[in-house]
Amino acid sequence: MNDLLLLTAVALLSTSQVLQKVGATRRLAGARTPSQWIAALFSAELLAAIACIAAGTALWLAVLYRMDVSRAFPFLSLTTVLVMTASRWYLREPVTPHRWAGVALIAAGIALVAST
Amino acid sequence: MTIRGARWLGAAALSASIVLSALGQLGMKAGMQHLKLARADGELAWSLAFSPPLRGALLWTLAGLGAYALSLLAWLAVLVRYRLSYAYPLLALSYVLVYVGATSWPELAEPATPQRTLGTLLILAGVALVSLTGERADR
Repeated sequence: MNDLLLLTAVALLSTSQVLQKVGATRRLAGARTPSQWIAALFSAELLAAIACIAAGTALWLAVLYRMDVSRAFPFLSLTTVLVMTASRWYLREPVTPHRWAGVALIAAGIALVAST
Repeated sequence: MTIRGARWLGAAALSASIVLSALGQLGMKAGMQHLKLARADGELAWSLAFSPPLRGALLWTLAGLGAYALSLLAWLAVLVRYRLSYAYPLLALSYVLVYVGATSWPELAEPATPQRTLGTLLILAGVALVSLTGERADR
């Protein structure tokens, strides 16, 4: 049950990152005045991103209630793997082999902390 | 001036995001800790809704959520400037801050174990590899 909560939170938080990036690039980058910034914050992309992060955070609070934060928090770096994957294939950012190796190290670190 | 602004703003926004996100996590955990104490005392009845443990739970959780919300705003400023595949792994620096905070802050006093320390260091090494190599990070 804790694992299911944790994984759902991770999926929601990863999705939110991609939506935030899309919103930042498409809406926020071109905004020049405070009123344009506000309008960008209320764009569909960023509202969806906020909805995902709110739901993810609510689940995350439920997880924190049950687990040590120093054990639960590194699970969040699973989002690094998901976000890198989405950056490469959905946002089409260039990702070097070094960076993939780094992601593998992060995943190994997660496994180590999780097996405690 | 667009929201991208001066070059140093990117680094400042990234640092603020990292620190605020760690503070947010620690605050939320402290809030949940107080909530647990309140429940252990059987104080979730409405008449006791403003008992010290519950008030503590509420205050810490709100403080944590506030820091988290500020870190999100700073993060949007980061995303305007950097690629997601560069900036996101850097956020893992806040893991280290959370681990140090959770184990050394008396409010939480979580145990530090060699295995968790090693895992956290591995994550850090991975973050370094992801972020310190390759091409320039600007989007």
